[in-house]
Amino acid sequence: MNLVLQALLNGLVSGALLAVPAIGFTAMFAVLRFPNFSVSGVATLGAFAGYTAYAAGFQIVGSLAVAFVVAGAVGLVFDKVAHLPLVKQGALPAAIASIASGLVLENVVRLCFGNDMRGYDRPIARDVHFGDLRINPQQTETMGVALVIMLLVFAALAFTRVGKAMRASADNPELAALKGIRPDRVAMMASFIGMGLVGMGGMLLGLDSSIDPLTGARILLSIFAAAVLGGLGSAPGAVLGAFLIGMAEELSVLVVGSPYRAAVGFFAILIVLSLRPRGLLGERAF
Amino acid sequence: MMMFRIGRRAALLGSVAAVAAPSVVRAQADPIKIATLTPLTGAGGSYGPVMAKVAAAVVEEVNAAGGVLGRKVVLVSEDDQTNPDAGVRAARKLIDVDKVAAILGTWASSVTTAVAPLCWENKTFLCTVSGADSITLLPHQGYLVRTQPNTVLQVTRTGEFLVSLGAKKIWTFVPQTPFAKSSIEIMEGVAKKAGGTHGSLIYDDKKTTYRTEVDQMMRFAPDAILCAGYTPDTVVLLKDLYRAGYKGKIIGQAYAINQKLIEQVGQNEVVEGVYTYAPSVAEGSGALARVKKLSGLASPDPYTSQVYDHVNMVLMAMAIGKGATGTVIKDNIRKVTQGGGKAVDNAVDGLKAIAAGEKVDYAGASGPCDFDDKGDILDCKFLYEQIKAGKPVLVKIA
Repeated sequence: MNLVLQALLNGLVSGALLAVPAIGFTAMFAVLRFPNFSVSGVATLGAFAGYTAYAAGFQIVGSLAVAFVVAGAVGLVFDKVAHLPLVKQGALPAAIASIASGLVLENVVRLCFGNDMRGYDRPIARDVHFGDLRINPQQTETMGVALVIMLLVFAALAFTRVGKAMRASADNPELAALKGIRPDRVAMMASFIGMGLVGMGGMLLGLDSSIDPLTGARILLSIFAAAVLGGLGSAPGAVLGAFLIGMAEELSVLVVGSPYRAAVGFFAILIVLSLRPRGLLGERAF
Repeated sequence: MMMFRIGRRAALLGSVAAVAAPSVVRAQADPIKIATLTPLTGAGGSYGPVMAKVAAAVVEEVNAAGGVLGRKVVLVSEDDQTNPDAGVRAARKLIDVDKVAAILGTWASSVTTAVAPLCWENKTFLCTVSGADSITLLPHQGYLVRTQPNTVLQVTRTGEFLVSLGAKKIWTFVPQTPFAKSSIEIMEGVAKKAGGTHGSLIYDDKKTTYRTEVDQMMRFAPDAILCAGYTPDTVVLLKDLYRAGYKGKIIGQAYAINQKLIEQVGQNEVVEGVYTYAPSVAEGSGALARVKKLSGLASPDPYTSQVYDHVNMVLMAMAIGKGATGTVIKDNIRKVTQGGGKAVDNAVDGLKAIAAGEKVDYAGASGPCDFDDKGDILDCKFLYEQIKAGKPVLVKIA
């Protein structure tokens, strides 16, 4: 029983970290209307940008800001140049192009930093025990940062002009355009913010372990599964999906063993698409 | 102007005479050809050049002492680029153009796996330093031996080492790999034989955290853990073991728990006391002293020592079988290394003894070089180290 509780707790921690890039992914889908798989490359880029900033003496929050800006800017350029021109021909060509962009970014990182793994130079602390359960102070801290980021994103969506414009555009692009919201600007904002969140997510996950050019590729399936599970296009759905995927992945270790962890993501997508294609919270519960 | 013409009859006669001449006459003119196929570039590029150099030095010594069967030995060196494609191209050239009797020193398991079928189909002998279990399970018909210990030998010796440290409850952490299941079974056997218990977990090496896996392990409360992964996943695993407050012994492969891992972890107390193991050269042996001299290195790596053994064994096998083909090597290589006889550690001494009609028993720089039927070595020495204050410290070679 304790083992299950501990696995659920571990799942909450990894779910919180997963939620940040999942929100970015789903927000981009809501506005741009295609699944942007270049998040794998962008997450890696964000992780390395944050790593470079951290090594240069920035604190965690400052490094996260650097990761956000670098990943957002580069993601925006790729969207503008490679993906958005293809969206007019349908979501599929753009999605395929985004897979290619992800590979390009991954290999650019490989070219600049090499294949070696790198770790953020953070002291590793022993866990704190609560009865039979244990949690790591650093992971708690990282999780707290992730929760703050999520709150900021939701506040921005609810209260700022940009957030409202993005929600309007996601809900009904034509109507939003009639109201004077310029769709290309909203698309750019969505791309920048979404990719920035993905970049921060890459760094948050890297803080806990280590980073290499494949960091993003490893979490791509989990991000996608979280977004689909919650309902593609729904930010609260992405958060819910991320926590559920995080916990399911950790519980799966107890039930079917760690090598089958990747199957959890696929299985979740399969179930959702067959039983509730709109996801748990539906498409437009922004 | 005078023209020199060869009539058709004369030409025909000449050809017939050449074909009819005893093959021995032609053969004596031909040198014996063998080859090294080592990674001069790519991931193994730091090992291949020294390997090729030492092999060439052995051949030079043998030639200076009169060659093999009265014939000069020519060593061809090719680069496999640590890449199966390049390895196959190079092997094709060695077999079809150079017509070598043996290829020595293939390093990466992927290269060896790709090159081996070419070798056995063309009856060319292959000596390798690759470790994957699957290699000696290929249908090589005896045309392959390897001097690198396989998983069975490595895990057995590691388990015995842990038992010697007093371990009673051993846990094996191994990533999903071709050697995962066999590693667990072998370690379980060793633990049970010593009267202990064993638990295990196969993990996904792409995870960013192993907290739940470590929780499962902590329930078993082991006093020793084998971490059989590679560097990236072992970094994450060691950090999580430290966070969880695990205080028992930890051991892993020296190729995974290396300087890079220590830098990666970045905190010495996380890796403090962790043991590593690696197949070792035969420290103190005459053969290794010769490798040191030939390579100019104070501590030659295991692969260089192994390729030294390859050349010596192959040349002596040819002398015993009185022939310079891959099949002769296949049929005689075990007569060089096992079954008793005069102890030798180099081909020059061995060839003299063989010429005098004596039996030889070669013990090499990498170990005794005794092979089983599949081509695996039966035993070799292992080097055990322990990390103290961020540096590996020698525990023992046994």
